[in-house]
Amino acid sequence: MTRSHRYRSLLLAVSIAVPAALGTAQAADTVKLGLVAELSGAGAPAGTNWRDGAKLAVAEVNAAGGILGKKVEMPEYDTQTDPQVSRALVQKAIDEGVIAIIGTVYSGSTMVNMLVAKQNSIPQFVGSEAPAIVEKGNPFVYRTSSGAQKGVPALTPYFKDTLKAKKVGVAWVNNEFGKGGRNVFIAEMKKAGIDVVVDAASEQAQTDYAADVAKIKSANPDAVFVYMNQEESARFLIEAKKQALPMPLVGEVTLTEAKVIELAGNAADGAIAHVGVTATATEVPGIAAFAKSFEDTFKRKPTHDAIKGYVGVWATKYVTDKVGKVDGEAFAKTMHGLCLKAADHPKILLDTCWDDRGEMSRPSFMVQVKGGSPVVIGTVPAN
Amino acid sequence: MRGLSVRDVWRSVAIALLLVAAILLPIGQKNYIIYVLTSWLIFTIAAMGLNLTLGYAGQISLAQASFMAIGAYVTALLTLAGWHWLAALPPALIISFVVGLILGYPALRVKGHFLAFVTLAFNTLVFLVLRNEDWLTGGTYGLSGMPRPDFGLFSTDKHLPFYYFTLGITVIAALALWGIVRSPWGRAFKALRENPVRAESLGVDTRRVTLLAFAIGSVYGGLAGALITPLVQFIEPGSFGLAHSLRILLMVVVGGAGYFFGPFIGAAVVILLPEVLRFTEGYYLIIYSALVIVMLVFVPSGLIGVWGRLKAKVWPKQQVRTDMAEGAGLQ
Repeated sequence: MTRSHRYRSLLLAVSIAVPAALGTAQAADTVKLGLVAELSGAGAPAGTNWRDGAKLAVAEVNAAGGILGKKVEMPEYDTQTDPQVSRALVQKAIDEGVIAIIGTVYSGSTMVNMLVAKQNSIPQFVGSEAPAIVEKGNPFVYRTSSGAQKGVPALTPYFKDTLKAKKVGVAWVNNEFGKGGRNVFIAEMKKAGIDVVVDAASEQAQTDYAADVAKIKSANPDAVFVYMNQEESARFLIEAKKQALPMPLVGEVTLTEAKVIELAGNAADGAIAHVGVTATATEVPGIAAFAKSFEDTFKRKPTHDAIKGYVGVWATKYVTDKVGKVDGEAFAKTMHGLCLKAADHPKILLDTCWDDRGEMSRPSFMVQVKGGSPVVIGTVPAN
Repeated sequence: MRGLSVRDVWRSVAIALLLVAAILLPIGQKNYIIYVLTSWLIFTIAAMGLNLTLGYAGQISLAQASFMAIGAYVTALLTLAGWHWLAALPPALIISFVVGLILGYPALRVKGHFLAFVTLAFNTLVFLVLRNEDWLTGGTYGLSGMPRPDFGLFSTDKHLPFYYFTLGITVIAALALWGIVRSPWGRAFKALRENPVRAESLGVDTRRVTLLAFAIGSVYGGLAGALITPLVQFIEPGSFGLAHSLRILLMVVVGGAGYFFGPFIGAAVVILLPEVLRFTEGYYLIIYSALVIVMLVFVPSGLIGVWGRLKAKVWPKQQVRTDMAEGAGLQ
């Protein structure tokens, strides 16, 4: 030990005193929405699109007079794709006076941070699709896309009637998101009388899918259900092309996303997915307008996460204006069982309903990647 | 009885002032800052444990997060089953200690990088068990809704009381560690770090002492885990992955391995610095990483060594044996 203890102690004092200087004032003529999302780390492809969609919506809401006639500000909070950080940040956003939380996208984070929003009666629009999120009896959490327990069953008719599959495989990422979807899919296939002949679990951030694809190839199913996050989906598609996997690859939402296509290149061609909402569904006027202004602003194509963030902000505006004041409890009451028609609320894009648990339903699409971009090949009614 | 030197008085006053600062700091702060300060204290405890293993006994471990996981899951399962947190704590610590011993016994046959790899594998193993054994651990969905301890008149449900509760535990843990490093064991740990062959020739049972340092370090990990459970009230395997073990290692190294107060500073840098830098928005992680690199390049013995070095340069007084003054390096 050396003789410098007092100096060490001073250092320590400084290092704990610095954060005390944090803290911000807030203006009364604005309302704040807290954007808590995966802006760095494994979730960044989803989180940054979510943010940009939300940003676009905030600009439009402000142009349309704001929320309750007040200007909207949206401070951003980066969770680093770490659930514990996300919890701290939801707390921070609430401390700083936000009226609603926009985020998070990753289910693992949402499962943690939604407890904080609930304790503070703050409405929270999430981009997460794990079934468990709306099953916890939290009245303040609302989805911006249907949960996996709704999205995956919408695929069953496609496997059964369109592909006429007798035996299928499932390749999934072993996290909350992947496991939720995989469990629903296996149950659905059982109900439909289709055999699941291969069940290939992979890790989050896995880079080598050679073994997984080889395993699927040797089981030779009629079709494969691929349920992974963006980067993993892209790597899987590249490996599938390398090994010339012959059967159709069908996913839910992520598999045909812009980010996946960008990463996988031409390996993504032919991939099919059921998507809750897609920027390629340009026959819907709201979506066409959204896709255009997103591309004009950010110089890239929007993903479904961008649409989700956009819808989250607009839903906050519509519902807060409906309630007529900032009141979390009243917001929750209004949200449950609410249906917003696209005809009356154009920025909600499609007729959208929330049930008494915050689950969402709206019409959805089947898309397939053709020549490097996803093309709508069918519509699935709201379920 | 030996009289107190000026230095000892200074030290006691500084520690007392710091404690007062730690008590006053969160008052009037918003929940977010209190939450971050609480996680700083908890990670300090985990880093104290690793500091004992690495800084004092010279054994590099990449499994500290897995001991946090063990402490966290044992506490979570027991408190969810209706046990009081205080009742759940001893099993959590005992299991961490026993697992530390069981892992340490074969692992400590190897040293340096090889030990790092063995502990790394163990960390991955714990992660996989937590994720795959859904029936017990809830798998990837984790466990949620763990109650915070309630002591009759003092309920820790709110953030501020929970901070004080954590502070109390941290002080107790620090005092216990202070006792350990000053005990014959502590001396043996240091002897082992400096020169294992000589230590053995002086009659130190190196195998037993290393194992003990490892197991006690694991108990501190378990204690930190037992506190994370009521703080976050949600645990999942991803929170205890290898990256978190590396973060705890970073805390020990940045703070100053082998220095008693090193973990406090190291945890402050790793937990608080990114939060302080958040005002730079998109750049904060870049700045943070750059700062860490600069620190490690210029002060490899940790931040706590900075003042001692500066002082020795400006005001040289008494020659301290450099091998004892510096913390253990990572070789």
